[in-house]
Amino acid sequence: MSRFLFPRWSNALLPFVLVVGAIAPLYVTLLVAYGFSPKTLEGQYQPVQPVPFSHALHAGKLGMDCRYCHNTVENAAHAAVPPTQTCMNCHTQIHRESPNLAKVRDSYVTGMPIEWIKVHKVGDYAYFNHAAHVTRGVSCVECHGRVDQMEVVHRAQPLSMGWCLGCHRNPVDHVRPPEAVFELWKDTTTTWSKDERLGLINRFDIHPNEYCSTCHR
Amino acid sequence: MLPKFPKILVYGLLVGGSLALIPPVAFARMRATPSPNRPIHIFYDMDFQPKFKAQAPNPLFADGRAMRPIADGAVARGEAYADAHMDEGVVEGQWAVTLPAQMEMSTATLERGQQRFNIYCSACHGYAGFGDGAVNKRAMELVANAAGPVNGTQWVAAKSLHDETTRNQPMGQLFNTITHGIRNMAGYGAQIPTQDRWAIAAYVKALQLSQDAPSAK
Ligand code: HEC
Ligand code: HEC
Ligand code: HEC
Ligand code: HEC
Ligand code: HEC
Ligand code: HEC
Repeated sequence: MSRFLFPRWSNALLPFVLVVGAIAPLYVTLLVAYGFSPKTLEGQYQPVQPVPFSHALHAGKLGMDCRYCHNTVENAAHAAVPPTQTCMNCHTQIHRESPNLAKVRDSYVTGMPIEWIKVHKVGDYAYFNHAAHVTRGVSCVECHGRVDQMEVVHRAQPLSMGWCLGCHRNPVDHVRPPEAVFELWKDTTTTWSKDERLGLINRFDIHPNEYCSTCHR
Repeated sequence: MLPKFPKILVYGLLVGGSLALIPPVAFARMRATPSPNRPIHIFYDMDFQPKFKAQAPNPLFADGRAMRPIADGAVARGEAYADAHMDEGVVEGQWAVTLPAQMEMSTATLERGQQRFNIYCSACHGYAGFGDGAVNKRAMELVANAAGPVNGTQWVAAKSLHDETTRNQPMGQLFNTITHGIRNMAGYGAQIPTQDRWAIAAYVKALQLSQDAPSAK
């Protein structure tokens, strides 16, 4: 019975095996951390909406205020997506016969809602509140990106717990005077100096907390 | 001097090494490009619970709405009919000329009115009320299109609030216009709460005074 002998070159292989053996777990760990993070799995979600509604046109070019349509955002946890009636304030006349608006007209006639696909969603076990943020000087742009430049809305942020806490721990870079909350084109860190923002935090006593029960209730 | 490794091993390592670059690049691409194929749920946790959040769909109802529309004749809390002045802008059969007793003519009211006017009215009537809002301008362009109105657009110019006829309207009549709309303008009764509509009416009066003051002419 002949014994198996490692070939001579396998001696030189040993250091390689050690190096690869050390790198491989590191590689896998980093890959999972990077690839399975909410930024990769949840960010940039951009569903195809039933009506080709453009924020870049309405909120950008036509300069409409977010609250014209999302009119509950200052008072309620939920930022209401507007009912068909809101679109029809204008579209009974403007682009009256556009095929792009066929579903809106149908919905207006039948009373059935337009089935907008929800873009932003946190797990059902977490609680989020728009009014608590918007009235305290956190702009839409901090969480939704430049919606006023989006043809189709997509998720600009991962909406993960780590992301929520990132801001709750360090709100200084994310607050602005409450009257500028809807001015998405202003960049928070460059428009207001750090001192001004610190002033706001003190003046309005803005202290977002990290107690689990704030968001898991 | 390295001993001679079998070719297959060398190539294997090279190929494996380069293949290892693909996943990170793919993930980086995912992070950067919007796509309808997200979010990817690896663990469902309790992300989707058998409960209905605001504006969520519910297949049990014919119209698919989990949030039920208000039944005819039902009155929501805080929206009970107060009196003819507050809810209709009428005092003893005439348009009211003052704010209802529940509200106070103050800087705060006017500022609120200005803010709400800029949200809901400026798109058509312009910030100063001259009827030069971005939506109005664009609609006029669509109507004036050389090859005929685009998509059958019809548009009556949003009136300048400084017109002879509008300038002399009492506050109650303005309130009524905002609530129910007028001719080609839609009503905003469903979108704007009562007190805010009064604040807007008061602000429009102030705007008219400021623009029509003899010194401004
Ligand atoms: C003319 C009405 C209108 C205006 C003005 C408007 N929106 Fe919207 N918005 C909509 C409609 C309709 C949808 C649902 C369809 C979609 O997602 O595109 C929506 C969806 C969104 C969503 C995604 C909601 C989800 O499903 O998660 C965000 C975020 C949003 N809007 C933010 C804004 C911001 C910020 C502004 C102000 C710059 C704004 N919107 C102005 C009508 C409007
Ligand atoms: C304040 C007025 C106003 C409101 C409210 C409004 N729109 Fe528009 N919309 C416009 C104007 C003006 C245009 C045309 C812009 C252009 O052609 O440059 C337009 C264009 C569009 C178009 C493109 C039509 C085409 O054929 O090119 C779509 C789709 C649309 N709107 C959907 C909506 C929806 C959905 C809503 C309700 C959430 C809505 N709009 C609410 C003013 C409005
Ligand atoms: C602090 C971060 C944050 C800010 C600021 C913020 N949003 Fe949101 N928004 C979210 C999150 C998180 C969700 C998903 C909520 C859920 O799933 O319940 C969301 C959802 C929405 C939706 C979908 C409906 C809903 O409520 O689920 C709309 C519309 C919306 N936001 C509009 C706005 C507008 C307009 C503003 C600015 C006035 C704004 N948001 C400011 C984080 C934010
Ligand atoms: C960009 C900054 C920012 C982000 C991102 C953010 N928050 Fe906040 N949050 C704040 C600020 C500022 C406050 C107000 C604190 C105060 O009123 O003192 C707040 C308050 C809250 C409150 C109300 C707390 C209370 O005492 O009533 C809740 C709930 C909350 N946040 C949940 C969330 C959740 C859930 C997320 C992630 C989906 C999130 N927040 C992301 C800045 C942020
Ligand atoms: C600022 C709000 C906030 C606070 C404070 C907070 N969470 Fe969360 N947490 C969230 C949100 C939002 C999610 C859901 C993320 C998602 O939808 O992917 C979450 C998810 C989780 C999850 C599920 C994670 C997963 O993906 O399986 C656990 C467990 C959790 N939180 C525990 C805690 C504990 C324990 C605390 C207190 C130390 C806490 N949270 C405080 C917002 C918060
Ligand atoms: C979608 C565009 C649009 C918006 C938004 C709008 N209006 Fe108008 N408004 C019009 C048009 C168009 C007319 C002219 C109607 C006609 O003469 O047929 C008009 C007319 C008026 C008039 C004159 C009524 C009369 O008796 O002649 C007043 C006052 C008025 N609007 C106030 C407002 C106020 C206050 C708001 C904000 C809550 C508002 N409008 C929002 C389009 C708009």
